[in-house]
Amino acid sequence: MVKKKILVSCGTAVATSTVVLRKIEEILAEKGMNPTLVQCKAAEVPSKLDGVDLIVTTTPVGDVGDIPVIQTLSFLTGIGIDADMEKIISYIKD
Amino acid sequence: MEIGALQSVVDFFLGLGASVLLPIILFILALVFGAKPGKALRSSLMFGVGFIGLNLVIGLLMNQIGPVSQGMVERFGLKLDIIDVGWPACASIAFGSKISTIIIPTAILLNLLLLFTRVTKTINIDIWNFWHFAFVGGLVQWATGNIWYGLISALIFSAAMLFMADWTGPAIQQTMGLPGISIPHGFTAAPVPFAIVINKIIDLIPGLRDIKGDPDTIKKRFGLMGEPLIMGFVIGLILAAVAYMGDGPWTGWLTKMLTVSVSLGAVMVLMPRMVSLLMEGLIPLSDAAREFLQKHAKGREIYIGLDSAILVGHPTAISTGLLMVPITLILAIILPGNRVIPFGDLAVLPFLVAIVIPIVKANLFRSVVISTVFMIPSIYIMNYLAEGTTAAALAADFAIPEGANLVTSICDGGNWIPALFLKVADNFWIGNIIIAAVVAALFILLKKKPAAMNKLAGYDAAKVD
Repeated sequence: MVKKKILVSCGTAVATSTVVLRKIEEILAEKGMNPTLVQCKAAEVPSKLDGVDLIVTTTPVGDVGDIPVIQTLSFLTGIGIDADMEKIISYIKD
Repeated sequence: MEIGALQSVVDFFLGLGASVLLPIILFILALVFGAKPGKALRSSLMFGVGFIGLNLVIGLLMNQIGPVSQGMVERFGLKLDIIDVGWPACASIAFGSKISTIIIPTAILLNLLLLFTRVTKTINIDIWNFWHFAFVGGLVQWATGNIWYGLISALIFSAAMLFMADWTGPAIQQTMGLPGISIPHGFTAAPVPFAIVINKIIDLIPGLRDIKGDPDTIKKRFGLMGEPLIMGFVIGLILAAVAYMGDGPWTGWLTKMLTVSVSLGAVMVLMPRMVSLLMEGLIPLSDAAREFLQKHAKGREIYIGLDSAILVGHPTAISTGLLMVPITLILAIILPGNRVIPFGDLAVLPFLVAIVIPIVKANLFRSVVISTVFMIPSIYIMNYLAEGTTAAALAADFAIPEGANLVTSICDGGNWIPALFLKVADNFWIGNIIIAAVVAALFILLKKKPAAMNKLAGYDAAKVD
């Protein structure tokens, strides 16, 4: 099985995407899943699409072709994390 | 305990240095807010790791760019000896100041107080960006020698940003489609007054007022420059060419040029990674603080205050950021008396227009004009604040060689708000009372004339949300 890859982006690849990435990682690990998680700036997303199965972002990303994008603030505000996690899992399970 | 023994305990803690002392304080703070000990230990150590890592990267930057700046002085008389080390460095300088650990709990309490007295609607859960407040506190403490003065200025700044968040919130929510969100961010607030005035002026000029500019074309054509690695490499190449090209045998200067450009590319890639470790270290504390604030805010209309990092993916922001890179470099060279080499913060120039987008209706031409006009005083402010910023960096144990270059950052070192607090530090009470009174008056104005104020910030009442 090929390991799934999730790209996590925000404005700087420092602040909000770190929070999002760690939360996703933690929740998925509890469920026994460990996809590759890569963090980047929104402006870099188009150059980092190789092998990416899903993009989770806190700010708009440009043209990414067919790759699904979840733009959400739930991991920052604490409201709606469960619904977003369901969506994420539905994209990365085989 | 004997006085002597107590004194040695105090000396021991003061002698620990920021990379050890801060994790200890963060560990205790996280436990107080209710985090699990294992998680708190890991995170607070990670904060120390980020601090050490960042110090290494700043060392790399200073070692490469120091000789470049010297070369520019010797060959062309370009005295550019203040280095823009970027906001990540400023953030850790601010977190490394003695004031940072006091500002986090006190600013949270002030936020709650202002929420309950119905002064503000925003709960600022973006603990990470409290470093902007700590930065002001650190500067004022440096100027006055009094930590409490620093704390007071920092708290006034935090309240002012709650006002900015309340004011610009509706326009941001409408334009960006982010219900219930507002942005209490210490840097992105700074260009807003410039934007409102310049936008009005452009409205009055026939011809100019019809220019739009297409963000997507810019993004496609210069997209590669948006990558920090390429940006650092190219800027390194340009700066090193000015300093070294044609000096002695070609093997010598070409080696130097390429070494500088690859190293500066490395700095641009490594710096955000190191800071994201600092951020990781703050997660348990910021989670706990968020829960605390949200629990107490139940049943009111609130805006959740977040980082402007969630706005800068907008095409107008990214394109403006790209165009501002060469513009900023040119300004730095032509503005008389400037000593700053823009570098680290060139990667985050989209932040200039994050809150400005609703005001200009996402017009690229206007956002570039506004950013350019904003950048001119900003460069002079960096020159003015560099000494204080460097002193704060040294106080936070950063490895800046004695007597070498000064450091700054466009985002906070070039921000008129910290400059204002430093300017009034000599007449501390009068200055800070006036600033606090202005902030209070603005809160009242927003309450009395919400429609007019929201329109100024770019809210379109005719559009249904």
